[in-house]
Amino acid sequence: MNDAAIPASGRLQAETRQLDLLRQIAGAGGTLLPRADPSAALGHSYALVGDDVANDLGALKRRDYLKASFFDRVSLCPKCGGHHLNVREICPGCARANLTSEGLLHHFRCGYVGLPSEFSPATDGSYRCPKCNRVMHHLGTEYDRLGKAFQCRSCGLVSENPPVEAVCLGCSVHTPAENLVSEVVLSFTLTSRGAAAIRRGSLLDDDEELVLVAEAPILRRPVLLKFLEHELERQRQLNGFFSLLLIKFTAEAMDAGEGGSLAPQLFRLRECLRDVDLIGQLADADFLVILPQAKHREAEELRRRIGAEFGARPPFVLATLQSADEKQESVQQILARLHAESGAR
Amino acid sequence: MNGFWHYFTSAVDPMSNVGFARAIAEVTESGSPAWWLMVVLPFVAIVLPPILVWFVYVVKPSAIRPPLPAQPGPIQPLVSVVIAGRNESETIGQCIRGALTCGYPNLEVIFVDDNSEDDSVAIARCAALCATGTDRDGDRVRIFPSPRRNGKASSLNIGIRMARGEYIAIIDADSMIQYGSMQHWLLPFSDARVGGVAANIRVNNSTASLLTRFQEIEYALKYMAKYAQARLNLLFVISGMGGLFRTEILRRLGGFDTGLGDDRDLSTMIRKQRWRLAFSIDAVVWTTVPATRYHLWRQRARWRRNIVKICLSKHRDLFVLGRYGFANAVLVIEVALIHILIPVAFIAGLLSATFEYGPFATPEILATAYWIILIYLIVGALIARDLSGTPAPAHFPLIFLLPFYYLCLVALPQYYAEITELLRIGAKHHYVPDHIWEEIPWW
Repeated sequence: MNDAAIPASGRLQAETRQLDLLRQIAGAGGTLLPRADPSAALGHSYALVGDDVANDLGALKRRDYLKASFFDRVSLCPKCGGHHLNVREICPGCARANLTSEGLLHHFRCGYVGLPSEFSPATDGSYRCPKCNRVMHHLGTEYDRLGKAFQCRSCGLVSENPPVEAVCLGCSVHTPAENLVSEVVLSFTLTSRGAAAIRRGSLLDDDEELVLVAEAPILRRPVLLKFLEHELERQRQLNGFFSLLLIKFTAEAMDAGEGGSLAPQLFRLRECLRDVDLIGQLADADFLVILPQAKHREAEELRRRIGAEFGARPPFVLATLQSADEKQESVQQILARLHAESGAR
Repeated sequence: MNGFWHYFTSAVDPMSNVGFARAIAEVTESGSPAWWLMVVLPFVAIVLPPILVWFVYVVKPSAIRPPLPAQPGPIQPLVSVVIAGRNESETIGQCIRGALTCGYPNLEVIFVDDNSEDDSVAIARCAALCATGTDRDGDRVRIFPSPRRNGKASSLNIGIRMARGEYIAIIDADSMIQYGSMQHWLLPFSDARVGGVAANIRVNNSTASLLTRFQEIEYALKYMAKYAQARLNLLFVISGMGGLFRTEILRRLGGFDTGLGDDRDLSTMIRKQRWRLAFSIDAVVWTTVPATRYHLWRQRARWRRNIVKICLSKHRDLFVLGRYGFANAVLVIEVALIHILIPVAFIAGLLSATFEYGPFATPEILATAYWIILIYLIVGALIARDLSGTPAPAHFPLIFLLPFYYLCLVALPQYYAEITELLRIGAKHHYVPDHIWEEIPWW
């Protein structure tokens, strides 16, 4: 259902529920792992956070509060969708599962190939070849095992790689393994955005949603400033530190960038950053990167790395700044200082 | 050289075609053994049977090429096509696809990979996937990648063990069954005495090089002779490139023996069991022949070494005339005559004539032999062309060079291989793995 179609009270309930979900995940260490559950639809459930959370998890993942990762793959019956399947090899000839697994024996001397049951046992525990009637003493020098082969007890057919078939224990439908429906079970990890929402006590508003550029989350100005404010607050309370990186695209780059062709450059920029770094758009040509727990030296290193990535003539100017420990700067002051720094460069 | 040139040109020139006619006249009237050895015997052994077959074909075509029944029987027997190969990634795909699409509905393909170092198995699975929709074993295609190199004989035995058909077709990994051939291939089994049927092997890469063009003519001539031999119950070899057998026979024999030429050995074993071997002109299997001198030399030397091992050592009891019947005794006579006596007698006669009449007689004798052989080849090629549509008309001019091809690229490696095999020089076969070679009997 489209979010816009949900009444305001319903949206509030959903947000509260989703925020609780985020808090539960944060309380469990930041990662939500599925557990095997035969009674669940996909055979896995998120018991830690309760049932029926699939929709909320999906919504939080879409809004970048959670990051989804592959956990496992589950095969389902194409008819009823059940995961209670009996999977086994079947005979390619008669389609019965009455198979026995035996390695074919090969007698070097006469070239005879057959199942071990065809070779009569000799007195000393070795085999006697049914073709040349010689005793085969030594495995590897007189005879060999030719891998693993399946023989059908019903029709006698020998196969090395028999087909696999699944029988649904719910609806009794037989399905070749390659035709089973495959579903991915996901695990979820809290993102920095999710953590910020928990600290703030509410999810971000709709107009503060991310602007996705080339699959890289680029925050809008109000959201970015809110995060910057949060970082300053954290610095004051916890004596932490952070750095800022200002990226000012040149006029030529902006002229060439009409139509959204800044996206590849932003994507390359994003590749240079850490997962915890936040990048947002301050103005048309100005982008700001917040580097939590990074000193000026590390910010400079990052600047050099970006410079190396874009070559001798990058399409932007970079400026770095570390938050001042002793000063009680506001967002406006620190941004002014950063712009002054970029002007000096 | 001047002597050779004189006799060649004199025979080509119709106005002065006296050298050849004079030589024939002289040798005919002389009543010498050369007449019998150079003209009569090759004619009876090589040319006369195809001529007789052709006459029968002209009078009653259905006697040579029996038509298929108008309606196929309600139950078509299951045929297992067994393919064994090593490092055959270039050809195995088309081989499997060709077998699956040969127009015979009740057929399964078993490919045994002899521990290839290339991607033969992946390509085979891909071909199976295209044909059956699954890359796992199905009821139409099964693939067995051997974990260790075992040689071709053992690989074929794996395939025979896995086969469940009433008949087993054994083809090379570089061969391809022609559409519609399988029904013709099965026809001779209506005779309960027939244990195996040889296919009509055609050359797939005949335009690849001059050598392959020669081989196309050679195969056409050889398989015309095979038809006549089969009708007389004198066919002794079903080629490994394309042979169809009753499964019960192969199982009873325990499959192929290791360390020897696979096809001739098996054919001899089947014949010793008093089964007949048949030939079908319309069961066409296309194969890839060696395109370079090196590979052709190796192939022919291998074949000839195997003939020596099989006929003079492993199955030497065939020489006990009467033990395995009259027809099998003829095999011994054929081997002794064609492969040993005639070449030895020809060389001895040539040397004798040279000593008796002087060195100037040698080119006359050789040129005469050349023209006699050429006439036989032309007659055989025309009959082959009429009966089975091969060799290609564009390759007919090469027949003039064919005697030299036989001499330089077929006879020489064969006699070299015979001598080295008889003297046991370099007897180890490169295509037999060491661990197998150490165990097999010293044939």
